[in-house]
Amino acid sequence: MAEGRERDAGLSRRAFLKGAGSVAAGGALIQEVAAEAASPSRTIDGATTIEFTLNGAKTEVEVEPRTTLLSALRSHLAIPHTAAKEVCDQGSCGACTVLLDDEPVCACMTLAVLVHGRAVRTVEGLAVNGELTPVQRAIAAEDGTMCGFCTPGFVMSMTACVERNPAASAQELREACRGNLCRCGTYPHLFRAAERVSRELTEEIR
Amino acid sequence: MKGARRTDGPAWPERDTLQVLHHDTPRRSAKDKVRGAALYSHDRRVPGMLYGRLVSVPVPRAEFEVDLAPALAIDGVVAAVKLREGETQFLGQAVAAVAAETPELAEDGARAVKLTFRELPFAITPDQALAEGAPQVRRGGNHSKVRPKGDEAATEEALAASDAVIDVTYRVPVQHHVCLETHGVLCDYRGGDEATIYASTQMAFGIPGAAAEVLGLDEKNVRCIVEHMGGGFGSKFSLDTPGRAACLLAKQAGRPVQLLNTRTDEFRAAGNRSGSIRRVRAGANEDGKLTALRIECEKLGGIGRGAGGPRPYHYEPGASYFEERAIHTHTDSSRAMRAPGHPQAAFASESAIDELAYRVGVDLVAFRKANLSDPVWHRQLDRVAAEIGWHDHPHRSAPGRGDGWIAEGIGFAISAWGGGGHRGAEASVSIRPDGGVAAMIGIQDLGTGVRTLVAMIAAEELGLRAEDVEPRIGDTILPPGVGSGGSVTTGSISPPVKIASYNARKAFAEHLASILDCPSERVRFQARRVFDADTPGRGLTWEEACRTLPKTGIGGHGAWDAKLQGSGVHGAQAARVRVDLMTGRVRVLKMVCCQDSGLVLNPLTWRSQVNGAMIQGLGQALFEERVLDADLGLALNAGLGDYKIPGTEEIPELVALIDEEDTREFPIGVGEPPVIPGPAAIANAVHNACGARVRSLPITPDKVLAALAKLEKEG
Ligand code: FES
Ligand code: FES
Repeated sequence: MAEGRERDAGLSRRAFLKGAGSVAAGGALIQEVAAEAASPSRTIDGATTIEFTLNGAKTEVEVEPRTTLLSALRSHLAIPHTAAKEVCDQGSCGACTVLLDDEPVCACMTLAVLVHGRAVRTVEGLAVNGELTPVQRAIAAEDGTMCGFCTPGFVMSMTACVERNPAASAQELREACRGNLCRCGTYPHLFRAAERVSRELTEEIR
Repeated sequence: MKGARRTDGPAWPERDTLQVLHHDTPRRSAKDKVRGAALYSHDRRVPGMLYGRLVSVPVPRAEFEVDLAPALAIDGVVAAVKLREGETQFLGQAVAAVAAETPELAEDGARAVKLTFRELPFAITPDQALAEGAPQVRRGGNHSKVRPKGDEAATEEALAASDAVIDVTYRVPVQHHVCLETHGVLCDYRGGDEATIYASTQMAFGIPGAAAEVLGLDEKNVRCIVEHMGGGFGSKFSLDTPGRAACLLAKQAGRPVQLLNTRTDEFRAAGNRSGSIRRVRAGANEDGKLTALRIECEKLGGIGRGAGGPRPYHYEPGASYFEERAIHTHTDSSRAMRAPGHPQAAFASESAIDELAYRVGVDLVAFRKANLSDPVWHRQLDRVAAEIGWHDHPHRSAPGRGDGWIAEGIGFAISAWGGGGHRGAEASVSIRPDGGVAAMIGIQDLGTGVRTLVAMIAAEELGLRAEDVEPRIGDTILPPGVGSGGSVTTGSISPPVKIASYNARKAFAEHLASILDCPSERVRFQARRVFDADTPGRGLTWEEACRTLPKTGIGGHGAWDAKLQGSGVHGAQAARVRVDLMTGRVRVLKMVCCQDSGLVLNPLTWRSQVNGAMIQGLGQALFEERVLDADLGLALNAGLGDYKIPGTEEIPELVALIDEEDTREFPIGVGEPPVIPGPAAIANAVHNACGARVRSLPITPDKVLAALAKLEKEG
């Protein structure tokens, strides 16, 4: 992961961890952290406002060091973004998958402060003017949604895969979903959707 | 074009005349779901909403006191309530709840609630519950009375005279629903005398009464909305603890409160499939006939009763005897879970059938057919056997051994279910002058595709495409639905929607008679046109016809009618597995299900249901088990990182076959039956592959290796 990127955002991981420690351990560490204040990193202590782009739009939200990106999206934004779901809250199910600088991450395992200055994309931002993406179209067409609670996560995992490699094979798309769980059992339908996406995109490239 | 047969009363047209029904039709909500626009109860946000959180005692059983003051002292914690006094009965039983401005503050509040408790002795395993001097679980004792059924003496006699006899015990552990959307409710109450409840529920119409009682309101003024819900599988039939807590907190705060179970709450206290221990003694003769079956069943439903299931499981032994009792433990009560009791019963019976077939050396399919009189199972078994490759399989009456590294095997099992609907549901259909059609019924869609069916049924009747009809469901201000349990939904909602559509069509035909200048009986609705049957070349487009309607449009209403649905389905499944003989790991390669269910209204969503059920069966077979620490009373796998459900890497080739020889011309529900045979079929396939008989689910590598080692020792 790009340490540099964090620096650009004005937050070094080390300073952040110290900041988080200061919340828990009280004043002792604050001194030490304050000494570092002269450095370009910023220390977070208590509520702070972060800025990031969300589906292309500049967004600001006040969070605490402990607030997860998932919670920020779902419960702290002025306009809540609830497509990413909280299912396991421990990185096991993929239902909260969002793209952070185009990389899929579990929003439940990502602290909101770490996205300061970065770009977050969620399912809500994929369709342009209501036009579904090939991944979305294929999942809908192959009946890859039952209750649909897992769907946003699968859509984001497959989206990241085809963005990384527009010639991704069905197998690669399938593998991109290894971190996603579906209890209704839509897997065979999602796999067919993966085949459809790969077929369509390969044809397009040709 | 074939015209749909129109009879006097509402009836399902003959299969081959159907234009919309019985054809693959895209799920109505799919677009919203892939766009993230589908709103679940978890996703609802209303002005002033607080976030709730439950508080529980960290031991299975305790005498406790709750002090809410420290929670309320936190800035941002707005309300706190007690949910229980005195003692707790199981780990995770909520005793209090708090509500705060953010989810994080709610967590702080829950942590700040001061619990003073004295741990009490507990019994969380059946052995602990049955031990001398065990702490009492229920007032009536730690087990129910034994309920015998059948002729014990005749069964013993038949066993004694059998050519081959087995005496074995099969175990199924407690397993979980794992709905991805946890139980949760948003109680939108802002003081005053009205409330709206957004609930993740299988029974929308059960919510207003229960919530009104907690809120102290008139039931008429409480509405429940379930636009989308993230799975239920039997666990979501009531307002439940999160719902009751949300209502109490909202009442105290005078503000809306959303309370969602955490995943830990969900595993510890939101229900499970009861475990079962079945001792089976069964006999067969060399002619392939089942002579006797004796089953002693213990149901493990925690503080609840647990689910039994049919006995014997559809096979017809010469004599049979069955007894059953519930063993109570200090654990969360079991709840209905997709075909309650059936997978457990089928696992024991189908494993026993298999063991006997090998003992007498008869082909596994032939043995099953010889002991089942219903020909539907015969044809279904033949069909799945052909599809799985049984006839070319080398081990049809004796298990294989493998090549020293891997072994492949095939297993079978059957199921049966009711699936009929019941009275209570009503529907309305309205046609507007702009051509729009709304089909309305307050039923919830658990992910089965009900919303799509509602549109399809109305479209078929009105000569439209499914997408021309707007289905409105999931709201108690609409005509009443029923609870979605027992696979009753299709059979309960299809008749009223059909009748409402029929009545709307009749009314529209009468209105059009003067315009088309023909008697109303001659008015036809087909392919988005209306015309006089005698002059099909002329007529109006659907939109033109609708424009002649008064501003208020026209419509019809319908109530449930038994004649338009039915009950009674069968299924057979086959599984092909590969066993790694070095590691004991089992991989399911293929599963086939052949299932009848009358007239299949939407084959696309039908297949999804059946595939999904097979996958859940696979999870029960290989992975799923609640693990408790018997000494400490801890739940060891109350999270999705530790309680394994099937993921992308474990999915076999799946084949869902509609039994087209079922010519019944009415719909029957199919949600539950295909979840039943999977675990048994997979266990049987493991044995068929390599001779390892694993009699306790899940079939984990350690159990396979132990069974292989035993086999080797026995030579
Ligand atoms: S909720 Fe984030 S991975 Fe499950
Ligand atoms: S569709 Fe229900 S969990 Fe995947």
